Amino acid sequence: MQVSANTMQSSHYVTFNSDICSGCANCIKACPTKAIRLYKDNHACITDKCIRCGECLRVCPTGAISTTTYELEALQKDKVSIALVSPVLYSQFKGVMPNDILLALTKIGFHNAMDVSYYIETYFYAVEEYLAENRITGRSPWPLISQVCPVVIRLIAYQFPDLLPHLMPIMRPLSHHAKGTRERISREYRIKGDAVTLYHITPCQAKLITSMSSFSQEYSLVDRTMGIKDVYAQITGRLNQMKKTGIENLREESEPQNISESCLFWGISGGEIAGIKSNKTLAVSGLRETITYLEKIEMGLFKDIEYIEFRTCPEGCIGGALTAVDKFIAKNTVLKMLRKFNPKPLIPRDKVVLPDKSGWGLSDITQNELQRIFGVYKEHISIKQLKEIEKILEQLHGKDCAACGAPDCRTFAEDVVMGKAVLNDCIMLRKREIDKILEHK
Amino acid sequence: MTAFKKSFNIKKRDFVRAGEASINVQNILKSLNMAPKLIRRIAICGYEGEMNVVMHGGDGILSVEIDTEKIMLDISDNGDGIENIELAMQKGYSTATEEHREMGFGAGMGLPNMKANSDDFKIESEKGKGTHVHIEFNVSAD
Repeated sequence: MQVSANTMQSSHYVTFNSDICSGCANCIKACPTKAIRLYKDNHACITDKCIRCGECLRVCPTGAISTTTYELEALQKDKVSIALVSPVLYSQFKGVMPNDILLALTKIGFHNAMDVSYYIETYFYAVEEYLAENRITGRSPWPLISQVCPVVIRLIAYQFPDLLPHLMPIMRPLSHHAKGTRERISREYRIKGDAVTLYHITPCQAKLITSMSSFSQEYSLVDRTMGIKDVYAQITGRLNQMKKTGIENLREESEPQNISESCLFWGISGGEIAGIKSNKTLAVSGLRETITYLEKIEMGLFKDIEYIEFRTCPEGCIGGALTAVDKFIAKNTVLKMLRKFNPKPLIPRDKVVLPDKSGWGLSDITQNELQRIFGVYKEHISIKQLKEIEKILEQLHGKDCAACGAPDCRTFAEDVVMGKAVLNDCIMLRKREIDKILEHK
Repeated sequence: MTAFKKSFNIKKRDFVRAGEASINVQNILKSLNMAPKLIRRIAICGYEGEMNVVMHGGDGILSVEIDTEKIMLDISDNGDGIENIELAMQKGYSTATEEHREMGFGAGMGLPNMKANSDDFKIESEKGKGTHVHIEFNVSAD
């Protein structure tokens, strides 16, 4: 993909192709943090305000916005490559057993493919333990907010810093999965941990950049990520081939992994709280909805709830921007699968080793630290600048047409005051000037 | 330097949009890099005040005035008014209707909560004419 030098920085997970951009301004309007500007000749620019929600990817009608990913060829250079599979992958293939999908992954180049069930249940038990503790100590304010969705954390760091203490201080299942798998594989293959390359097969656009560290160190624990849509065709091809040659023989070669019910549910909104024993839980999905609920928590509501699961993608992770199949089809596939395969229920509590509490992470992290880690920056203005912005707004009284390249008049006024745009870029203002001249003639 | 002022309209019985004025105020304060704890206090006060207008008031106005030392919220309406302010300021005292309670409001914590979260709290009201709440926050306090 061709990338113009001035539009992309390494930390951005999307690329813009100005050659096929129609200039429709859908992306700049859809961006919840108003991070995108469209300059002359459709040169788009993402600022540091990006929280990686994927909205721009979803609304782009021409495909000018896309994500970059690793190609499967990369696997050939790896000593041992392991796929850590998001449960959402199972929802993409109708009527296929999860273990067969893992098998297909090993046939397209991975040395092994690992299911995350065990670590999801470890996570459930850890959350339950923390909630019980918090009922006594009151260390964290209610409601606690799930930190599984990386966009939610960025959103809170950017827009709701006073809600930081509400974040559940427990590492995501994926982090534990990566840690546990690296240890296990290096033991099994008798190689050093850094000779193992961990790939995360994910529906999540926010997890694409692995070089970015997160406060739960997830990204340094996983080496590379691949979007589900980027491996979908290869897996489908391999599954068809496996069916032709007789899948039963292949199954005998590998030991089936225990895939639990809660793991299959995990990718659907409500799948996280379904595994947690508490009646005071709530699941919210969708970006606008998440913002609305965060606003309400900020205003002091929902204190009677202990734990909220937020997913900014519609319907949960199955609505991630890197999925291959539509969210409603995927949901249907999971529900039918549960009926057909009778997956195992929860792993018994005594069989689960809770993560070391020191590794639960993030206790007293500040907004500044979090923003630095995530690379989201909010610009701050002075009262004087705020008044100037209001003054310019009065002058503009435009239609939020976005012709200037900013999403709305207010953002444009801010850009003018901050010296990033000139008033003359507003075509409404210029039209009024022309009208005035014509009247006088 | 003069302060920044802005006003927002609040509509009677508009439960769907209730809270929007406070969200607008919050967003302004966030752009000014005010301390998160201070924003939280103002958010709670703004929301409680707005809900009071939506539930009991007529149409009202929420105004905010910001300077480097003080933030003032002014919430006034032309609604029912309060008969006994002393009573209304007591925790748990509520005149909410059945409808309000069904929606989860009316716990009688609104005014006491506003007072507890502000640095200065004034209320004037006359039965049948409306209510005027004036609250102040010290910027340096948080």
